[in-house]
Parts: sequence; C-alpha cells; structure tokens
Amino acid sequence: MTRWTRLWENSLLLFPSIALTLALGIYPLLWVLRYMFYDYPGYGQEMFVGLDNFRRLLRDSAFWASVRNTFVFAGGKLLITIPLSLILAVMLNGKLRGRHFMRAVFFMPTVISTAVISVVFYLIFNSYNGMVNQLLMKLGLLGGPFEWLGPDHAMMTVVIAAAWGAVGNYMLLFIAGLQSIPQDLYESASIDGAGPAQRFWRITVPMLGPVMQIIIMLAIIASFKGYESIMVMTEGGPIGRTDVMYLYLYKLLFPLATSGTPADQQFGYGSAVGFATALIVGAITLLYYWLSRKMNKVY
Amino acid sequence: MGLALTAVLAVGTAACGNSSNNNNGASQSAPASGSASASAPASAPASKAATGEKKVISYWTDDRHDQEYIKSLIDRFNADNADNIEVELTVLSENFNQSVDIAFSSNKAPDLLRLKSANTGTFVKKGYLAPIDAYVTDEMKTKFSSLLLDGVNRFDGKLYSLPNSGQTLRLVYNKDLFDKAGIAKPPESLQEMVDDAKKITEAGKSEGAYGFALNFKNPKSAFDRSIREILSLSGYQGLGYDLKTAQFDFGPYGQVIDYFKQMWEDGSILPGAETLDIDPMRAQFAAGKIGMYLSFSTEPGVYKDQFPTTINWGGALAPTIDGKRKGTSEIVSAGTWLGISDKSKNKDAAWKFMAYLYRDEVLTAYHEQGFGISVVPSIAEKAKNPDVPGMEGFLVGDSDSIWPVSPTVTPEGANYGDAFFKYMLSGGDLAKVTADLNARYNDALAKAVEKGEVKAEADPSFDPSKLKTNS
Repeated sequence: MTRWTRLWENSLLLFPSIALTLALGIYPLLWVLRYMFYDYPGYGQEMFVGLDNFRRLLRDSAFWASVRNTFVFAGGKLLITIPLSLILAVMLNGKLRGRHFMRAVFFMPTVISTAVISVVFYLIFNSYNGMVNQLLMKLGLLGGPFEWLGPDHAMMTVVIAAAWGAVGNYMLLFIAGLQSIPQDLYESASIDGAGPAQRFWRITVPMLGPVMQIIIMLAIIASFKGYESIMVMTEGGPIGRTDVMYLYLYKLLFPLATSGTPADQQFGYGSAVGFATALIVGAITLLYYWLSRKMNKVY
Repeated sequence: MGLALTAVLAVGTAACGNSSNNNNGASQSAPASGSASASAPASAPASKAATGEKKVISYWTDDRHDQEYIKSLIDRFNADNADNIEVELTVLSENFNQSVDIAFSSNKAPDLLRLKSANTGTFVKKGYLAPIDAYVTDEMKTKFSSLLLDGVNRFDGKLYSLPNSGQTLRLVYNKDLFDKAGIAKPPESLQEMVDDAKKITEAGKSEGAYGFALNFKNPKSAFDRSIREILSLSGYQGLGYDLKTAQFDFGPYGQVIDYFKQMWEDGSILPGAETLDIDPMRAQFAAGKIGMYLSFSTEPGVYKDQFPTTINWGGALAPTIDGKRKGTSEIVSAGTWLGISDKSKNKDAAWKFMAYLYRDEVLTAYHEQGFGISVVPSIAEKAKNPDVPGMEGFLVGDSDSIWPVSPTVTPEGANYGDAFFKYMLSGGDLAKVTADLNARYNDALAKAVEKGEVKAEADPSFDPSKLKTNS
C-alpha cells in the first residue's frame, strides 16, 4: 500500500467523524457565538444589539438565582453520589455473595430513562397522594401531608432523585478502578498487620487517585449540566427554587407549553446565557482539575 | 476492510434516504409519536369521479378530543371529493408549536394547520400562513362577519382563518363538597370564594378534601384559566392589559392575587398544588378531593371521557372581585380554527378541504357533539345544546362575549404568572411587584410596537359592560 493510498483511506475513514463534528459541534458553537450579540426571536430579521444581552445577563436576578441553585444542586448530588458509589463499589468488589446481581440492581437506574425515573419519584414524593406521605401518615409519623416538592424542600427531593439515578454509574467506574489495584499490595499490608480500615485509607483511596480524579470530574460536569429530572418533577419551581442554569437556558430557547399565550423564543439572549453557563461549568472543571492535580501523582 | 465498511455505511445511508423519499412529504414530516393517519383506504371508491393528478394534503392539529369526529369527516371527504384530493391527519400532543417550527424550518410544513388565538399571531409573524381572502366567498363573509377581528384572524388587513367554536371559562365546583360544608351556591365574590374554600377544607380535610386548587406547576397557565375570567367579569382585561390606555396595568391583577394568597395562607389549597399539572389536578377533582377550581369549557368532555367521575359537579360563572359584574366573561380561542400554510404547493386543494369543514352541517355537529361551543351566530341559533354532562354550566349566555385582542409581548425576567405566584407563596411588597411588572411589560410593549410586531392603540371610550354578548 503506497503512502498516498493510506492517506486517502485514512481521510475517508475520518470523514464521517469530522463531518459530524463540524455539523453538530462546531457549526452550532459558531451560531451561538454570533447570535449572542443579536436579538432574534426565531423569525424575521435578527437585530444586532452589541453587548445588550450581556448587560441584561448581569441584571437578570432569575439567572443568578439559577446559578446559585445549580451550585446547591450539584454540591448536594456530589456529596451523596461520590461517597455512596465508592462505598458500594468497595462492598461489591469483595467476595460478597450475590455481588453480580447487586451490581446489576444498583446499575439499573443508569439504563432507565431519566424522565421515567423522575415521574416515579414525583409519584412517590408528591404531597397530595405520594406514597411516602401515605406511609408516614399511616404510621402516625406525620399529622398531615409533608411538602416534599414544596418551596422549602423541593431542592432536597430533586437532589435525592438525581443521586439515585447516578450512583450505579459511578459505582461501576469505581469497581473498574478497584480491580486495577494489584492484589499483592493488600496481601503485603495484611502480612504487615494492616486492618480493613487501614487498607482502605492507605491503599484503596490513594491507588484510586487517578481514577477518582476523572470520576469526580465527570460527576461535576454531569451535576452542573443536569436538568432533565428537575424539568419533569418541578419545571424549576415552585417559584424558581429548583431552577438550575441549563433549565433556565432551555426555557429561554424552548418556552414550555402553557394553555395561554406562548412566549417568544429568545435565541439571542439564550445564546448569551448559554455562553455564560459554559464558561461557568468550564471554570469549575478547570479549578477542580488544578486543585486535584496531586491525585494524579500516586505512582 | 475500512473502505469496505465505509462503502456499506454509505450504501445503507443512501438506502435510508431513498426509503424516506418514497413517502410523500407530509408523512415524512409527521412525527413518529402521537400521529394518526386518517387517509382514505387504498381501495377508495372506484366510482369516484376523480380528475387530474392526486393531491395529498397534510393537516396537523393538537386537538385530541375531536379526533375521531375529524377522522370520520376526512374519510368521507377522501372518498367523496371529485378532485382526487387525499387528506392525511396528524394529531400531535404536546409541543405543537415547536413541531410546527421544526417542520417549517426543514421545509416539511403541513398544508393545513389548526390555529388557536394564542398562536395565530406568531404564525403570521413567522410567515407560516397564507391569506385566504381570495378564497372566502361572499356568503362566508356574511356568515362570519361579526367575528372577523384584527389581531385575531385578520392581520394587516389580510384574513388568515375563520372562527368555529370558542371556550368559555367557568368556576368548576364539587356540589357534594359544597353541600357537606353547608354552602348553598357557588361564590359570587372573591371574599366568598376564600370563605367557601376555608369551610370546605374544614369539613373535608380529614378525608383529604380541600377547598381550592389550580395547576400551579405552571403559574401562568393556572392564572390564565382563572384570574383572566375573574378580571373580565369584574370589568378588566384578563391578561393585565388596559384597553383604555393601551398600557399594561397589573393593579387589578394584584387585587385578585391577594385573595389567592389568603387561600394559600388559610391552608385551603390542596397540598402539593404548586407541583400540579392540569391533568393530575383534574384527576384529584374527579376523585372528590378539590372543592373548586377555574377552567375552560373542555372540562365536561374531560370528565366524560378522560377522567370519568361519579361526583356531582357543575360549572358556574366565575366570582368577581367585589361581587358585582362590571364586565363580561371572555370567550377565548374563538376567532380561529384552520389556516393554510404559506409553503403549501396545494393551497387550492387545502382550501377545498377547509371549506368542506366550514359547512353548516359540520359546524352544527361539532357544537352538538360537545367538541366546542359554537360562536358563529347562525350556527349557535339553530344548534341543539350538546349532550355532555356538565356542559350546561359552560354554555354561552348573557354574560359571555369576545373581548378585543390584547398584544402579546415577552418581557425581560419573570412573567406575571411567576412573579405573582412568588408573591402568593413567599409574600413581599405587592405594590413593588406590580410596579416592576408594569415597567417590564410596558418596556417590552414599546419595543415590540417600535419593531412593528404588535399594535397597541388606546381606546379611551372602551366600556367593558357594553361588549356585545353572544346569547
């Protein structure tokens, strides 16, 4: 095979990926970078407005509230998901009876549609006939319905739903990391008299460092970008208490259906919000990567 | 090997492309879910005097309640028309407007669309609709003359649709719960509504029944089916627009919100109502857990088919702010039904089907079978009342009328539904909330007027008590 034939063949094989990346990745990105300087409702002539969309962004209290909500949502989800998935991974990586079945059980939520999970959680937690309230009231632990999805507790409930859907996925990644730790390290430590807790903190956690760094980074990105379960359960309500950045952005671009007059799509302002949210998530990821750089230096 | 795989992929892709090209454009664009084909069977009557090339017309609607009736009309039209026209029906569920946007941007637009007052203006602005002035006969112009309105079905002097039926809005109440609480009749003022909701809750709370509810998951949707009607009967435009000054003024809206807030603080609203969509709320009403709510005249059909119920319920005129009726109950979504796509290559054929649906026979049956309340005077006069339980409370009467259209604008920040609901739940300074809404909506209105998107003309002589009623 000549060099030219190889080049031709490689180019041909790369073409679909490059074409798709250009069409579905680069083009929309350029579109957003252009339209964030325009006022465009999706019809008629777009109007150049300079930095107006960014000025509006700075005074848009609902957007900044959604940024705060995103930090609470992502923080809560990470605090539950990472430790829980690590504990489950350590337990199910041992010689526990039925561990394969349990792994499948915990992984199941990952393969179920987020919308379905969210509807089920809504049915479990809603105040008027949700199963949790019914049970607690029957047991006499509640005198009346508790507002799991009310203004004061909705965030906690959507965090629980999101964490439940994510734990199995990270558990599996941790198991893959655990299985790459050489067994002779544990054997040597045991011979030297190390107990289970010492083996966990002195071998498992440090040896998982590089894997954990990647898993936490993926979890941070997913948590900051996640909005699907919230959209189904609360649509960002009540009164904006669960409105996160990407849901706020979604509603600017695709206003949710109402029985009344539909709102205009706001592609220009939505593009500016999209740019700002991408910057925020990117900055958080970079900051984490910098802070966690030592996790990568185990070996 | 790689080249061979690429070749296989390429052939496969091409085959997919050919496969979809073999379908007609209309069925290509029809979304996979929620669609229903009502095209004529392959063995259409041989006796039909079909002439010329076959023309396939696609009709998109988001009406589910009347689809069986519309399908039967399409079957009849497909079998009987002498012009070799075949109509295909696509029934979409949610996100109709988005599906239409996608269809038009990808050049797969339907020929005929279901239009509602809420989306017609937007569709005209987006250039989706073709004027129908050239098609409308003098007889039709006479029949619909009192219902051809600027900003509703006529824009810049061009006509885009014709009316059929409209929706009245009413207080929907559970008579059993009213009886149990010792309340003799539905409330006529907001104070009575607050008091009744409290009484019903006190009498029914132990069994999970509460006085009031709305679909507060989407506050704007909840208020647009409730406060809108309370305001119009009280003499104010229902969406916060002052027709006399051509400016937004949410002052009257704020007065109503204070009563809603009182019901919330009294604990008279169903727990979890802030997370309720309309259908789960209706399910709770059908189960006898809600004393009253406000909604459209679609409700009798809902409790007949969607959530059959054994409770004793009825519809009544909404209460007013102070118990005095200073205006009329607004009939909504009344000026439009069907519209022809500007992108249609078969506009003449689309009009033929549209005219077929606008025959007296069809409009009368549509009303009598309870699919909508006719607003066309010549039909409303002779049609019998629909035989749907509960519909008697929703029929057009002395207190109902169509209101002048108000401009639609999208303000910066929260809409009035979200802003007032926030006040309702967490309190604050109502005067500030109202002033902020007035400022943002009027700013958006000024910009929209400047861009030529809407018209806002003051009518200082407007008198809500003198609107022409439809009885």
